[in-house]
Formats: sequence, C-alpha cells, structure tokens
Amino acid sequence: MSIDELALILVRGLGQGAIYALIGMSFNIVVNSSGILNFANGALLVLAGVLAYFILPATPDWTIWILAAVGIAACLFVFVSLQGVLTLFPLKSSVEQHSWLITTMAISVILSAGIHLYGGSLAFRVPSILPPVSVFGLSTPSAYFLLMALAVFWFVVIRWFHQKTFTGLAMSAIAQDLDAAKVAGISVKRIQLVAFGISGLVLATTGFVGAPVINISADTGIGYLLSGFTALVIGGLGSNLGAMVGGALVGVISMFAAYRFGGIYQDTVTMGLLIAVLMLRPEGIFGLAAARKV
Amino acid sequence: MSQDIALDTASTPPAASQRLKLPSSVWLGILAIAASILVPGALGNQYWTYTFTLVTLYIVVAIMQNMLISEAGQMSFGQGAVFGIAAVTAAVMTGLHGQPFWLSAIGGVGAGLVLGALFAAPALRVQGYYLGFVTLSAALVFPQLLIAFDSITGGVNGVPAFVMSLATPVYGSITPLSILAVLFAAFALLFHAVLPHTVLGRRMIIVSNSPEAAQALGIHPGTIRSIAFLIAAFGTAIAGVLYVPLVGFVGPTAFRVDFSIFFFLAVIVGGQGKLLGPIIGVWLLHLVPNVFLADFSHYRLLIYGVVALAVMLAFPDGVVGTLSKWITSRRSGSEKVTVSLHDALRKDDELAASPAPRPEDGAALIEVREARKSFGNAVALGGASLSVKEGTIHGLVGPNGSGKTSMLNTISGFMPLDSGKVELFGRNVTRLAPWRRTRMGVGRTFQTPRIFDRLSIWENVQIGREGFGRAGGENGLAKLGSLAARWRRQDPSLLPHGQRRLLEILRVMESDARVILLDEPAGGLSPEERADLAYLLVYFRDKLGKTILLVEHDLRMVWNVADEITVMETGTVAASGMPEEIKSNPKVRALFTGGGDA
Amino acid sequence: MLEVQGLEAGYGRVPILRNINLVAPAGQLTLVLGPNGAGKSTLLRTLAGLNRPTAGSVKANGREITGLAPERMVANGLRLVLDGHRVFPRLSVRENIRLGVRGDASDLETRLKDVYEVFPILHEKLDDAASSLSGGQQQMLALAQAFVARPDILLVDEPSLGIAEMLIPTILAFLKRWASLGTAVLLVEQRIDIALKYADGVYVLRGGEIVLSGDSATLSEGGAIERLYLGD
Repeated sequence: MSIDELALILVRGLGQGAIYALIGMSFNIVVNSSGILNFANGALLVLAGVLAYFILPATPDWTIWILAAVGIAACLFVFVSLQGVLTLFPLKSSVEQHSWLITTMAISVILSAGIHLYGGSLAFRVPSILPPVSVFGLSTPSAYFLLMALAVFWFVVIRWFHQKTFTGLAMSAIAQDLDAAKVAGISVKRIQLVAFGISGLVLATTGFVGAPVINISADTGIGYLLSGFTALVIGGLGSNLGAMVGGALVGVISMFAAYRFGGIYQDTVTMGLLIAVLMLRPEGIFGLAAARKV
Repeated sequence: MSQDIALDTASTPPAASQRLKLPSSVWLGILAIAASILVPGALGNQYWTYTFTLVTLYIVVAIMQNMLISEAGQMSFGQGAVFGIAAVTAAVMTGLHGQPFWLSAIGGVGAGLVLGALFAAPALRVQGYYLGFVTLSAALVFPQLLIAFDSITGGVNGVPAFVMSLATPVYGSITPLSILAVLFAAFALLFHAVLPHTVLGRRMIIVSNSPEAAQALGIHPGTIRSIAFLIAAFGTAIAGVLYVPLVGFVGPTAFRVDFSIFFFLAVIVGGQGKLLGPIIGVWLLHLVPNVFLADFSHYRLLIYGVVALAVMLAFPDGVVGTLSKWITSRRSGSEKVTVSLHDALRKDDELAASPAPRPEDGAALIEVREARKSFGNAVALGGASLSVKEGTIHGLVGPNGSGKTSMLNTISGFMPLDSGKVELFGRNVTRLAPWRRTRMGVGRTFQTPRIFDRLSIWENVQIGREGFGRAGGENGLAKLGSLAARWRRQDPSLLPHGQRRLLEILRVMESDARVILLDEPAGGLSPEERADLAYLLVYFRDKLGKTILLVEHDLRMVWNVADEITVMETGTVAASGMPEEIKSNPKVRALFTGGGDA
Repeated sequence: MLEVQGLEAGYGRVPILRNINLVAPAGQLTLVLGPNGAGKSTLLRTLAGLNRPTAGSVKANGREITGLAPERMVANGLRLVLDGHRVFPRLSVRENIRLGVRGDASDLETRLKDVYEVFPILHEKLDDAASSLSGGQQQMLALAQAFVARPDILLVDEPSLGIAEMLIPTILAFLKRWASLGTAVLLVEQRIDIALKYADGVYVLRGGEIVLSGDSATLSEGGAIERLYLGD
C-alpha cells in the first residue's frame, strides 16, 4: 500500500470516524443522565440529512447554509426532547425494564419508514458547501474535515457545558450520584429531557454538516447506529474521550476494510469488531468496571 | 412429640411425577393455528391456506423470540437473520445443488445454529442491550453478505427451490407442508408452555431476574443465556427451512433488517411473556397491513412502528396481556392465596429447650486471610481475617460500612480481592467464580430476598437444590414434603416480606450447602418472625449440621444464637471471640453505642 | 418546624417504619438515635421524598408535604444531607456548593462567608476536585452545599460516619449553631455520647418504631439508651 493510499484511508476513515464519535457522544449524554441508549440515533442522523436535502440549494450559499443548520438543530432539539418524554414516561422507577429499548426502537422504525415513504431506498444527495480539498493529490470531500472539526467542537462544548452551566453541572451530578442529586433539589426528569435535546443537537449538526458524505437513505440509519455504538463500546460507555478514540478506530478500520475487500464488507467488519471487544474487554478502554453488584 | 408438620422427616416425599397442568390458552392457541390453516385448506382456498401457513411459520419465530424476551430476559433484533440463513442454505442446497430436501433441511438448521452461536458467544460475557446491538448488526449485515457472496447465494436474483412432495395438496388445498407447519407450531407452543416448569426454564427466569442470585445458586448466567439463544436459533431455523418449499423462492430482499424487527415488535404488541402473544401479534402485524390494507402496504413499516409505540405507551402488557388482566380483574372474588410459613415453622419445644452445644474444635470451613479490597480511595476491606469452624453459627457484626457485606461478598466470590486469600473447605478459592463456589457447598441469601414471582412458592424452594447439579439426598425435599403439594401452585408475590425472607432461607437449606452465608436476615422482620428465624438457624446447626455465617444488625439475636462473634470496624476486624467475651469487651460496647475512641 | 404523624414506609414490600410521630421545632437540634438497622436512614430518606410513605403525614411549617418528589421537598424548604459524606466526586468544591443554590446564585459568596468561618479548609480547596478531599472535608462540603440552600428544615444523616474523630465536635457544633439561626435540624446519629451533648430533643428508634423520646438531659442519665442499643 502506497503512502497516498494510506493517507486516503486515514483521512476518510477519520472523517467517517468523526460521525461515529459524534453518534457516540449523543449516546453518552443521554446514557449518563438516564441510563437509556437511544436506538433512534441512527435514524435521527439520517433525518437531519434528509432535512438538509430539502433545504439546501444546489449552489452553495453560506447564509442559507447557516440558517438551515440552526433551523435543523432547533427541529431535532425539540423532536428528540419529545422523544425523551415518550421514552421516560413509561419508566416508573427502574431503567431495568425493557420499555425504553422498545420505544426508542419504535421511533427508529417510524422515522425510517417515513423517510422510505418519501424517498424509497434511494439515497438523497446533498451538495457540499465547500469544494473538495486535495490531499496527496487526491480530491477529498471537505465535509470530512468539517466533521472532524465538529467532533472536536462538540467534545469541547459538552465539556464546557458540563463544567460551566448549572444544567450541565446538574447533569454531571446526576451521572455521579443520583440520590445526592435528588436531595440537592435537582429536577432529574427535566435534566434528562435536556440531555435528550442536546443529543438531538449533536445529531442534527452531524447529519447536516456530514450530509454530503453521509449515505442518506431510509436503510442506512441502523448502520450508523451500530458503528456509533461500536465506537462507544471500544472507548467505554459514558466516556466522550472514549467515543472520540473509538470513533477514530472504527472509522479507520472499516475504511481500510472497505478499501481492501470492498464497501459491502464495511458493516461486517464493524460487527466483528463489536463482538471481539465484547468478548475480550466488555468495559472498553476508558470504561470502569462496576464497583459492587450485590 | 411435637405436632410440627413442616419439619417432620418421616412424612412421605412428594409425588415426583405430579402432573403438570398446562394452561388452557395453549390448547386454544393450537386450535386457532390449526383452524387458520385447515379450514381454508379444507374449503380449497389456496390463497388463505398459503398465507396462514406462512403466518404460522412466523408465529413459531415469534414464539422463540417471546421465550428469549420473557424467560431468558434477552433482546434479540436478529431472529430474521437466523430464519434467513436457514432458508437460504436450504434453498441453495436443494435448488442449486439438487440435494434432497431432508439433507438441505439439516444444512439449513445447521447454518441457523451457527448464526445462533454467534449471538450466544457474546452472551457468555454481556447481556441486555449489548446483545440487542450485536443481534441488530447481524440482521443488518446478513442481507449484505447474501449479495456479497452472490456466486453462492444467487445474489439479488435469489434461488428458486421447489419440493413437490411437500407442496402437493392431499385434501382441498391442504399440503403436507401445511400439516407440518401446524404440528411444528403446536410443538413450539407446548414447548414454551412447559419450559417455565423445567429446570432449564427456571434457570432462565432466575438468570434474567437476578444474575447474582443465579450465581449464588450455582448457575453460570452466561451459559444459560447462550443456551437460550441456541434454542431460539434452532426453532427459528426450522421455520426458515420450511419457508423454502412453501414460497418456492428465496431472495435476499426478504430478510432485511425490518424482517428481524418485525418479530420483535410482534411479540411486544401481542404481549411479552404471554403464550398467545406471538399468535395475536403476528396476525395483527402481518395480516392487517399485508392483506387487509394491501393498498397501503407502503405504510407497513410505519404501521409497525406506530402500533408498537402506541402499545408500549398505552398497554405495556400488549394485547393479550391487557386483555387477560382485564378478564382477571372482572372475575371478582378470585381466591386469595395465603401461605403461612409461620405455621410451617412451628416451634419444636424440645429443641428450643435443649442448650446449644459448645462449639467443638471443628475444622475451619471458611478461612479468610488478610483480605484487602478498595474502590478508588474507599477501602472496603483493609486486611481483614476471619475463620469459621464447622458446625457453628458465626456472627459478623459491626457499624454501617464496616465491611460486613464486603466480607460476605468476598467469601461467596462476588467481590474479587486486591490481595489476600480465601479458603473454603480447605481449598484456595481466591480466584474462583461465585457459581463455582456455590457448587462446592456454599449457599447465601441477600439483603433483599431474591424471590422469583414467576415461580410458585414450591419452585422457589426447589431451585435451591437444582443449582447444585447433584441430588440433595434424603434430608432434602422430604422434610418439606408435606408442604410441597400446598405450595406447588401458590404465587409468592402475595407473601409478605418476612415470609419471603424465610422462603429464601429454606431454599438455601434445600440446596444442601454445608456453609450458609446470611446477609442481614432479620432486616424488616417482626419480633415473631425474628424468633422464627433464630429457631431456624439453631435447627440448621443442630439438626442438619450446617455452618452459618450470620451478618446481622440485631445484636440481641446474635448474642442468642451465635457460637462465635467477629466484630468489624472500617474494613478490619476489631475483635473476635465467644459472645460473652465480646459482649463484655468495652471496646466493642463503645463501638456499638458510639462511645468515643475507647 | 417539621411535624410527622403516623408515618409508615419501607422498601418495596419490606416494611421498615411503623407509626412514627415526631416534631422537630425550629431553632432546635432534634436527635434521632437508634442501633444499626433501626430505620433511621429510611426515616430521613422518606421525609426527603426519596421513599414514598405508605401512610401518615408530613408537614413543613404547617404545609402538607407528604409524598412529594425530592426536588419539591427542597422547594418547600426541606433539605437532606445523606450519610457517607456523599458529594459529587468529579466536580470541584465550588461546583458542589453551587449546586446547592436554586436559581439566582448572585449572593452565593455572602452566604458562603459563614461556612468558611467554620470550615476554612473549603475556602482553600475551592477549585480542587471533591474526590481529593478527606472524608471529613467531604462531609463539610456536603453540609456547605445544604447550608447555601438556606432550608427551613435540615435533615442530616450520620455526619460522624467514616470521618476523623476530632472533626465530629466541629461538625456537630456547626449544626447546633445552624439550628440557633432558626432552622429545624433533625439529626440522625449513632454516636450517643457526643451527639447527646448538642441535642435538644431526642427520639430513639428501634425496629422501625420510636421506643423512647424526651429531652436530651433526661435521657443522658441512666443508660437506658445504651441498653436498647446492645439488646441487653
């Protein structure tokens, strides 16, 4: 393999990996505050891409682009918060019940079916706001670089949010000690809804910014969902740093597999990775083993 | 003599072969399935015979899925892939390579089992949503691989496969295949009805409700989860194989992700854990959009999603579950079950009067040396040692957070040590898994009793001896024999807390464990129940020769029953000795009354 | 003032508390004693809304607050400090205290002055992670977090648990002073000897029931409490 092939795989792999890292972070923000993994995250990402398809004109226009980004983010913030209401509503006390798994899966099915109704199995093509960049003489979609920047952006913003805002502090507090957070007067349900909303923001911006390179169609959400979850399992559930590292790993490895064996094996390789990590180190790289079970 | 009925060793053992009474819903289900195929078949309606035969195969898959969810407590979004791989394998073998159908069928089932094993392998280590993602990824990848290996599978064109002998009508439009489908579905339904009353089914229920309790009963949770996935794969694969001669063509588009999710949602909509749930669920989700609303078949997936969401929010028990709840609640004055363990454990006055024997110099069955364990900065055990002699009741007391439960978890294996050594029966077990220690003869209870409401009261006792993998012997079930008949059909969810506690202790007794670890058994018990408990402990020691380690806050009880007492403080042993010594030890008194640094 | 009448509660189907009647007047430190497993923590957790009572009533300054959610309890001026010096370990001292204030935190610094006076160490370690504090310092932090919330009723669960012996009087004295500012303080303790010195009224819990009550001076004599503890 030549240097530029390697560079190609790395850049594209890291770009794809940024999507997985962002999905992983959107999982984390909800899982840390409520223990729920949102199975609709993949479909939500695709939904943002579909909305971008409808809004963005064929010729790049920064004003429309920025307005569209804000609009789609607002849409998904509201939508995912509402999903949070639906998901948390049947939960009386314990997250042990299966109900959240079913409601989030049902939302995922509904979203995919809705997209399918409109576009069938065809992929929506979304124009890029910036022209391709040349890396080692190879034309590389600029969206990959935007995605990497976005992953770093959200990593920093979520960190800042957790440390500097009252709601973010409360969210960290809930993750660290639920009972202590309750007796401190924190309204747990409200904070959990905000967490759902923020995960919607992350997914909306990812789907929007990445739209030119994301495979936007009714059937692709689950693939992204699984890659994002695999990134998280590798890095350690709950850790954003883990999501970044895991996302990069999954992105590069699956890109390498796609390059070597063909794109059709990309999901297969991701699945193999997931099973291997679960068998060898289920707590991930940055994850902590449960302290006491009994 | 006392009139004690419960602990009467002379009473006859229960009839082991007491007839299992299946719920009438099984027969109703079999009847419905048979009628759905045979009635249109007899009338010669080919379309409906075909449709309901197909639906019946789907029902079998849903029954397997239902078993996974309700008994084994595991989520699978990949059953459609198992079905698909079996169907494709059988179709390729018979359609492309001209193999006889029976051989192709074996090949198909084998392929399904291989995929099932892929689900089962991670199940050894993890559970719950992790497996949800693994199975979902299999459902996603499977159709992709069908296309990737198109030279073998026929790719997008699919494989035509006809088996004339199975597809030729014998009467009306009834084919041998439709009869096979009815029999197979009936078998699957019976299997699911009987399963909870078998050792394996009970173990699945225990594992899904409390993996810790499973380990404490000598069960390895991962093994049970894996077995559940393999059984589900087996049934699903057979359905997949039968799909081939029915449809006569197998293409990759039939087995996409939504096919797998369909089975999952069908179980949820029908009612998880309900025998008839899969039938109603598949009928509703398949027939309504595909047959009655054929013009709207584009909306099929949307309907699945909306219906599942609506059911989950409005009727979390599903259609069948909600209906059966409604019917039960309408049936006023349903018999109220009362069970009194208090009666069962009526005191034997003679025994209570006889003084407890002095502890002899028996061998130490439990030996903990210099046990250390910390979680970050928090020290759970800071070099604590403990020795428990055979045939004694050993009290372990101390203030909150002094490390008593940590010590118990160390002995039963739930808390691996940073350093130190644990010996049981003279064998070093420091690195042994909890379930293996249980099998050596260590039983334990938990602070909150692990009683399984899906099992009858009697089964809750019975699981104690099943965990061991060896017969309990004469002094096992016989003692409680006279109660077996009464408890066999009673529901423990109606028992108050104290009786649940005693039930859990009876279970440990039944397990034939020589060493019993009890974690705050008197918590939440009334004074009368405490007296019962104290009596039971002494009975265990004196009549059954058990060795007991008792973690307890109720010092009065510990003074009364313990032969030796160890006092813990901040992860270390503060004092150890006979009750009198401990009681008069000023340091210990200070510890409990909160006196300063005495 | 906190008034509790006929309170019953438990965990799931485990009954813990039976017919609890007690009053914690404003401006006083009311002590709840009892051996391990008597139901003291359950009592406080139930009063703070973490457990739902099955019967009885709880009133804060005459307002009915029975069965409210924990955050509504705080809004009604009732605040619990959990046992085991529970703070948020990965947050800084400042952030931990900040979480105690609902809404406007502009006068946080002025509120904190009183805390710094008693626990100067918190001022020094303001930007350190709470996990780096000792057990005693964490307990001070947990109290400081409650203090800035200015509750009318303060419930404190075993502040002496797992902290250095010499710190206990400091912490109890702080609670006593806090009470004298007009707060109703309900303190659960196992340390009979020290706690009795600071208490006004005393209730003794055993087996989920109040078996003894009175003022601390009377109960300090005679060793009745000690006998209850040891099960003699």
